[in-house]
Amino acid sequence: MKIVTVGTGMAAAEFVQQLRLGGFSGDIVMYSEEPHAPYSPCVIPYLLAGEPPDNVYWKGRDFYERYRVAARLGEKVEEIDREAGKLRTVAGRVETYDRLFYAAGSRSWFPRPEWLEVEGVFGFKTLSDMQAIDGYIRNHEVQRAVVVGGGFIGIDAALALRHRGLQVSLVHCHDRLLERMTDADAGRFATARLKERSGIAFYMQAEVEALDTDHGQLQRAWLHNGTAIEAPLLIVATGFVPNSGPLTSDQRGVTVGDDLLADPRILAAGDVAVTRHALGGPDGLYATAPNAIAQARVAAANVLGSREVYAGSLNANVLRKHIDFPVISAGQFEGEPVTFTDGRLFRRVYLRDGRIKGYILAGDTRLSGYIYNLYVSREAVAGKIAAILADTRGESYYRSLMELAPAAISC
Amino acid sequence: MKKIFVDYRKCVACKSCETACAVAHHPGGSLFALVGDSRTQVNVRVLGVEHEAFPVSCRHCDPAACLSACPAGAISRDPETGAVVQTPEKCQACAMCAMVCPFDAISFKHIHRALPGREVAYKCDLCHERLIRGEEPACVQACHTGALVFQESEPQREKRAAASLKVYLLGEGGEPPLFSMYRELRRRAFARRRMEEP
Repeated sequence: MKIVTVGTGMAAAEFVQQLRLGGFSGDIVMYSEEPHAPYSPCVIPYLLAGEPPDNVYWKGRDFYERYRVAARLGEKVEEIDREAGKLRTVAGRVETYDRLFYAAGSRSWFPRPEWLEVEGVFGFKTLSDMQAIDGYIRNHEVQRAVVVGGGFIGIDAALALRHRGLQVSLVHCHDRLLERMTDADAGRFATARLKERSGIAFYMQAEVEALDTDHGQLQRAWLHNGTAIEAPLLIVATGFVPNSGPLTSDQRGVTVGDDLLADPRILAAGDVAVTRHALGGPDGLYATAPNAIAQARVAAANVLGSREVYAGSLNANVLRKHIDFPVISAGQFEGEPVTFTDGRLFRRVYLRDGRIKGYILAGDTRLSGYIYNLYVSREAVAGKIAAILADTRGESYYRSLMELAPAAISC
Repeated sequence: MKKIFVDYRKCVACKSCETACAVAHHPGGSLFALVGDSRTQVNVRVLGVEHEAFPVSCRHCDPAACLSACPAGAISRDPETGAVVQTPEKCQACAMCAMVCPFDAISFKHIHRALPGREVAYKCDLCHERLIRGEEPACVQACHTGALVFQESEPQREKRAAASLKVYLLGEGGEPPLFSMYRELRRRAFARRRMEEP
């Protein structure tokens, strides 16, 4: 049997590794637009902050040799013929497959694609992006940067550049940062703390309207309100679109079942896959590393002949980069909110039928694993959740284990 | 695989485990080297909850949620000892592991083994390097009361361990009378203190 992967990202790398560890001895071919060994998208921003370059290769730089993979790098897959079981690249190469693992990931979405023609404007998604940004900063001795977008990736980018020593401005259209990861109160809390502690200049409710260039190179960005930000580097982190085109002819992702099949011979996983939510949330693109890895493992097990069922995705995520101010969230912010805040911490859980429907924890990672497990296990927590949220010592789990009553809340 | 089992009813919160752990994981290897050193790594934390004390550390779950969640490939399982081990040079302190650890056993700090100037996640490594040399984990060796015991764990127990620490709780041997008395005194002292609180 010949297995072909489109993509060499986290899902594809995990899938191939599991196949080989599980005894699969057939041919494996991996396609990627980029020229790299599998790398971790979560690690690459740290390259800009001085990370040793090899650390991005989360499964080792020798991945393709170690797992006997024919790597077709720098080759973009353009079209997939499901009937015939073959794919075609932009360069015209045709490859047949018995099973196709489609994990082509996602790409940066640019509100103004013409900006990409300006030297000094970059997306913030791939290792190639990071290397290009790094090279640009070195060659032009860049001291100032503008980041457009105040979501997870935008803040990640801004903090990485700040950590490198650049003066960073962040332009965000909303009145608070991280509006997908947080609700209004938690978002305001996180925004205020990041403003105090990150050293980044934030321009809220603002949009970049125009760019000034000199011989094609960026000089400054103009905001709608007439403010000019002098900077030769602009990073666009305003969102992503799944690379589902070659398979679905649209940008909406690839819908898969609990067996991760999109078609009897095609499996899909990772940022491009539309999956079920594990705990009753809507179907969707749940683009996090743990989801990609879990999907890849189930897909590999099914190719190897066992019948495994994907338990569904979770939209749990944590932002904790370069500064000790973590923001953790999961689930849906619907139902009855229970909140604890003391200026340093903001913790809120949404209850539905006495069970956790979603939560946001900002300022600390203490208790986050316990609350995650209460959420995932669907445990009834109505009677004790207020005491748990107010627990700043991280004793709640051990309190329940030793069968001591929940702590009284002192106000 | 051998694991560290806990009989918290025998814990007198002397923190010998914390001290021994810190010494065992310090490049200086002595108690004096720890003094004033902010990079000292203590992988076990004696948590006082009312009159009880509980030595909290990693349970080396199988499957381990932290290991599956790490996007940097910085957490692996030591094949010889079964320990869930971190590679500080690869860790970015992104907190994915801490977000899913049911036992709150992962902390963040600029420890000695981290790259210069960088915070990393750290936790108990089961003293796997000591185990290879035929020694016990430092905390177990240091525990005077038998609250920490290093013993064989049956496979079916390990499967349940990822969900609950209860499978690692001892207590089947019953309490020696002196311990019962000590616990009772501690419980009363705690109750009295609580009464005195304004």
